Amino acid sequence: MASNMTTYTNTTPAAQLDKATLNKVVWRSLMLQASFNYERMQAAGWEYCILPGLEKIHTNKEDLAASMGHNLEFFNTHPFLVTLVCGIVLSLEQAKSDINTIRAVRVACAGPLGGIGDAIFWFTLVPITAGITAQMAIDGSLIGPILYFIIVFGVQMGLRFFLMNWSYNLGTSAIGTLTAHATQFTHAASMLGVFVVGALTCNYGGTALGMVIPNGESSIDVQGLLNGILPAFIPLLLTLMCYFLIKKKGWSATKCIGLLLVMGIVGAIFGIWAGDYTALVSVPWHA
Amino acid sequence: MNVFQVVLLAVATFIFAIDQFSLTETLYRPMVACPIIGLILGDVKTGLAIGGTYELMMIGNMPVGGAQPPNAVIGAVVAMVFAVSAKMNIEEALGAAMIFSIFGQYIVTLVFTIMSGLMAKADKAAEEANPAGIVQVNVISCCLLGGLFALIAVLAAVAGTALAPQLQALSEKASWLMGGLGVAGGMMRFVGFAVLLKIMLANDMWGIYLAGFAAAAILGNISATSGATLLLVAFIGVAIAFYDYNLNVKIGEGGSSDGI
Repeated sequence: MASNMTTYTNTTPAAQLDKATLNKVVWRSLMLQASFNYERMQAAGWEYCILPGLEKIHTNKEDLAASMGHNLEFFNTHPFLVTLVCGIVLSLEQAKSDINTIRAVRVACAGPLGGIGDAIFWFTLVPITAGITAQMAIDGSLIGPILYFIIVFGVQMGLRFFLMNWSYNLGTSAIGTLTAHATQFTHAASMLGVFVVGALTCNYGGTALGMVIPNGESSIDVQGLLNGILPAFIPLLLTLMCYFLIKKKGWSATKCIGLLLVMGIVGAIFGIWAGDYTALVSVPWHA
Repeated sequence: MNVFQVVLLAVATFIFAIDQFSLTETLYRPMVACPIIGLILGDVKTGLAIGGTYELMMIGNMPVGGAQPPNAVIGAVVAMVFAVSAKMNIEEALGAAMIFSIFGQYIVTLVFTIMSGLMAKADKAAEEANPAGIVQVNVISCCLLGGLFALIAVLAAVAGTALAPQLQALSEKASWLMGGLGVAGGMMRFVGFAVLLKIMLANDMWGIYLAGFAAAAILGNISATSGATLLLVAFIGVAIAFYDYNLNVKIGEGGSSDGI
């Protein structure tokens, strides 16, 4: 779990990362989603990806542990654009910025990239490339799949290398202005981070009730009623519940996951949650 | 199909399973994966035809009758096996692969759930400043996903369509469990958010948190803006953050120069 340190013990900025280290991070970024999971999504893959940089930057064990700790928190972005976040975060780590600043910038940067990446790749590049090459394949030409692979993989690799160098240089050159007013910057960055997490709660929160209570001709859709009160009410409620349990009751993340697992399965037994499944117990409100 | 081919099929599926989320994220696409499976099964031509057609289906350019298999990797691998060994056409093959593909999706749900639990192991590695521990967590996840996917491919290759009724029955029996796991999986990210908030959410920021929630609720429910919800939210957030930064810097400067 995240350590409670807010500043690194050694606050002397580390030396500039060499090209070889940055390239290593780019290649490792291919494994961003290697250990994708429901709780923290790409967190452990993200950690693996930037570790070569972190190990160079944090030479004392305590700082490396702190950095690895906070970089293992929830993380989700577009895999093809992740090196943009790598460059900025590594430049902040290198400057030994306040840990709260690094966390906030990381969160604020990662979220919006997801949508951009999908629009560029899955809705534009891949359909166009597939449109050009699929007919070649159907006609029996091996050039089709080969061209497809070269274009789609080539564009993403080029982008990964470019974004890594660009954002790292941008980050390192902007550090001076940021650190001049470090306290104010940390506060502003935290605001942005909290704002984005608020948006993620709504945007990533798909949990909904599936109960439709039969009531003569007009059945009552419980989720519809809830939406009338507040859209994404359940995601908000569950986030606040976990926050309360972790912050006030001292629960671990693993314990919270256990609770949600039980809630999910028990809810599915009684057909409470929305979704494409058959409830174990036959209930009047779940088809 | 001989033993050698089955082994190669398992290896290829293992790699594709990982590739659907990591590595190149291109190799697993039916367009590339199907010809490779075709090469293993000794029928590249069928691989090319199915790969091209399935790829166009996936990007929505080809309205082929019936639903698409829920998992593209298993969909492609098993459809290829059936198309080559049972001489099915693409629609029949994709249809016959459907039930295997549902199990492929179950495996993804299971692995994502199990890996949520394994994050505690990653936390421990971080606490000890032990990079090897982080590598281990990632390797475990890849082996789990790849291994289980390879198992389904081998089952389809060895038992063929004969296995379909049993799988169908099993999936009907397990429906509530997999449905529940899926819902639980969808909720687990709230734990991730809560951990972030635990540290970032100072008492004066509750309004900001709710404002972010509201911004996403509004932008996400308008069809013209819903695709760019998070980007637009970031624009608003950046404006607020800059305002806060400038204000506080000014107050700080004013305070010191006025000697207050």
